[in-house]
Amino acid sequence: MAKPLIVARDLSIIYNQGKSNEFKALTGVNTDIFEGEYIILFGPSGCGKSTLMYSIQGSLPPGEGTLLIKGDDVYAYPPSERVYFQRHVMGIIFQSFNLIGTLSVLDNVALPMIFCNADRTTRERRAQSLLDRFGVGHVSHKIPAMLSGGQQQRVSVARSMVNDPKILLADEPTGNLDSISTQQVMDKIDEINTFDRRTIIMVSHNAAHLSYAHRVYYLKDGRIVREVVNPQRKQIKPVREGETIVTELEQLARLFPYDSVDTLRVKSLVNYLTQEYSFDQLNRLEHASSLFIQGKIDRDSLIRSMILSYEKGGAEIEEKEARRMASIADRMMNRADDIRRFRARKDNDDVFFSQDKLAERMKDHLIKQYRIKLSKEQDSNMTEIIADRVTGVITADDLNQRLMNGIRSGGLALSEHESDDMTRYFEKIVAQGIDVSYKA
Amino acid sequence: MRVQDLAQLSTRMFKTNPLRTWLTILGMGVGTGAVVVLVGLGFGLQKIILEQIVFGETLLSLGVSSTGSQGLQLTPETVTSFENNPAVLDAAPLARFPALVTYKGLTGNVFVQGVEPPYLRYAGVTASAGEVFEEEDIADTSSIMLSPATLKLFGIADEEVEAFIGERVSLRLLVPAEDGSDDVNEIIIDKEYTVRGITKEEGVLNAMMMLPELRNYVGIEEYERIQVRVDTNENLPIVEAELIELGYRVTALSKTVEQASKIFQGIQAVLATFGGIALLVSAIGMFNTMTVTLLERTKEIGIMRTIGASPNDVKYLFVSESVVVGFMGGISGIVMGVSLGLAINLFLNILASQFGGQAVGLFAFPLDFLTFIALFSAGVGYLTGIFPARRASTLNPLDAIRYE
Repeated sequence: MAKPLIVARDLSIIYNQGKSNEFKALTGVNTDIFEGEYIILFGPSGCGKSTLMYSIQGSLPPGEGTLLIKGDDVYAYPPSERVYFQRHVMGIIFQSFNLIGTLSVLDNVALPMIFCNADRTTRERRAQSLLDRFGVGHVSHKIPAMLSGGQQQRVSVARSMVNDPKILLADEPTGNLDSISTQQVMDKIDEINTFDRRTIIMVSHNAAHLSYAHRVYYLKDGRIVREVVNPQRKQIKPVREGETIVTELEQLARLFPYDSVDTLRVKSLVNYLTQEYSFDQLNRLEHASSLFIQGKIDRDSLIRSMILSYEKGGAEIEEKEARRMASIADRMMNRADDIRRFRARKDNDDVFFSQDKLAERMKDHLIKQYRIKLSKEQDSNMTEIIADRVTGVITADDLNQRLMNGIRSGGLALSEHESDDMTRYFEKIVAQGIDVSYKA
Repeated sequence: MRVQDLAQLSTRMFKTNPLRTWLTILGMGVGTGAVVVLVGLGFGLQKIILEQIVFGETLLSLGVSSTGSQGLQLTPETVTSFENNPAVLDAAPLARFPALVTYKGLTGNVFVQGVEPPYLRYAGVTASAGEVFEEEDIADTSSIMLSPATLKLFGIADEEVEAFIGERVSLRLLVPAEDGSDDVNEIIIDKEYTVRGITKEEGVLNAMMMLPELRNYVGIEEYERIQVRVDTNENLPIVEAELIELGYRVTALSKTVEQASKIFQGIQAVLATFGGIALLVSAIGMFNTMTVTLLERTKEIGIMRTIGASPNDVKYLFVSESVVVGFMGGISGIVMGVSLGLAINLFLNILASQFGGQAVGLFAFPLDFLTFIALFSAGVGYLTGIFPARRASTLNPLDAIRYE
């Protein structure tokens, strides 16, 4: 069995030890990290995830317990020798990039090699090739302030790799970046893990990144409260049979990263009580529906992906049921389009195509859907209620109430049950049809 | 870290923070400039005085005269016996007789001194006008040097001294009778001597001619004084002690020079103290700047430490920065101080030439002193940098990197 690269045993880190503001940032942490692993330390701020990372980095001596890197107790060395680890074993990237503003990008990347006495041509060639690799080679002679955040972070990734370290430490590397830059940086870090086979230890509180890691350590209040293995990646850490078993909780943890284990257990149970489909099936169904809502696939494709077997990437739903679902979804989408048109007319004051007609179409759809017969008065009341709801004059609760109200007072006089059903159905359509994007 | 990289990293401040860097250098420069000017003044004054009295060989000579009481006489044999001393290179005698000097009908009492040219070198006799006797003048029989006071006898004003060179005077020697009585024989020298130079001896009435010429008219059995040229500085006190032991009276110019030097060292010390205060003030200013720079760069130190700089790397960076600033301050101080000194010199010289005075250099800047100042200011830079640098190197990288 391979030896772990990093071993922590009962690691505790105490800030301001012995003073009145003593604070235990990390308590009794045990972990084994293996070469080539991608580890994410995940948790809310103040949970100790950065503390653990910087302790591994060599800047925070443990108060208690041991920390071995490549079998060496880093903190047994004096600071002048400890830098060996920072030079040759570890590279680091920060949330705030931390490039030195008075040096050119090229010099920034070459700086760790300067401390290693590398000569100018060697280090500049190496720095330039790394900058090229991470797509920032063309700005190597600018100063960092002239670069975008994403570029700066890629420069700092290049800097962290310049001495070819075994371990890459990343302290929320995408915390200051927009979504596109985040994706670029995450891809580069992933590439360093999968292609260069470097060990990655990343501190993050972005749940979207968890799928990159082999394992995620969840920290809370200075303790590792959970270790979640990513079933989608081939594990490097040897798993002894029966010791850790992958359960539905691991899967749920990825879907709901911010929930505690207890909440996940509740979710698991309630899912079984209320749904005939598993989380996996729901996941697939959600994916297919999302494509359908966006208009990327048509009704037939939706049905196909629903009935396709799970192994082939489908949701494995019975064909009859799938067709029923698809037809409901299709109808709802059509009515949602009506709502969109209705609201567009409202904004545009288009006099040629009456809103009444759209409202009536929606009304007809609801009547047909619920097979109810309405008097002429009820009929016009309903058109009005629908128009009010779609224009936003009344809320969902008002809608429910007015469906139950007497005919004289503008309602439909439906029973409570009928009213609830209809409200729920119509609200689903409204949710699809209302454009919620922000307009200044 | 390699030296060239260190140099490159530690001179960044000229690019990134030029104003503050140059102001710090200027601050140091003013301080060192004050030292340079004041000590330069000390050197200048010393040089002015010593130039008047010091000639290479003069310092290595002893003036020997008879005490008279013990009946020790200075005779040609004495000269030979002095020369036999291995530590003595040469001995030059001076014979002296009272005489009457006549110029255009005016006659006055003087002492005629008969010397050989080396005596002039050993005794440090120089001319304020005209020229002194040189080695080749040993056989000279027609020229004479006079002391300034002699000219007063003839009613020559100070401004006309130069014009007196080339004038002719005649002499009558007054030689004591050989029979031991108090009578004085008057020996008339039946020719005129050309005045070739005026000495700088104040307050004495002397006329100086070559010893062989004097011998032509009078027999010399006893000398007034003998200048003994000692081979090395180390032997000077030894020979001096020997001669005193023998009963001679010995005077050494080197003693006078030593005393003068001591006085000037005192003056220099006082001047240097004032300059040093200025330097101290600017050093404190520089220390302050270095400390502020440290605070400002705390984050940078943190970054460097986490990406592999050792505590020593950080320390060297800071120290070399302050040494550079200190050294540059020293250089600028030297430039400022020397320019100021030379400007004052020039001004005084212009003034002097306007009023017909002699040009003097009030300020002097020996190269050794300037080199010392340059190195010293680098040393001050080192001292002001070392404490902030030590602190920088012991900072916890994590605290440093989070410092805003």
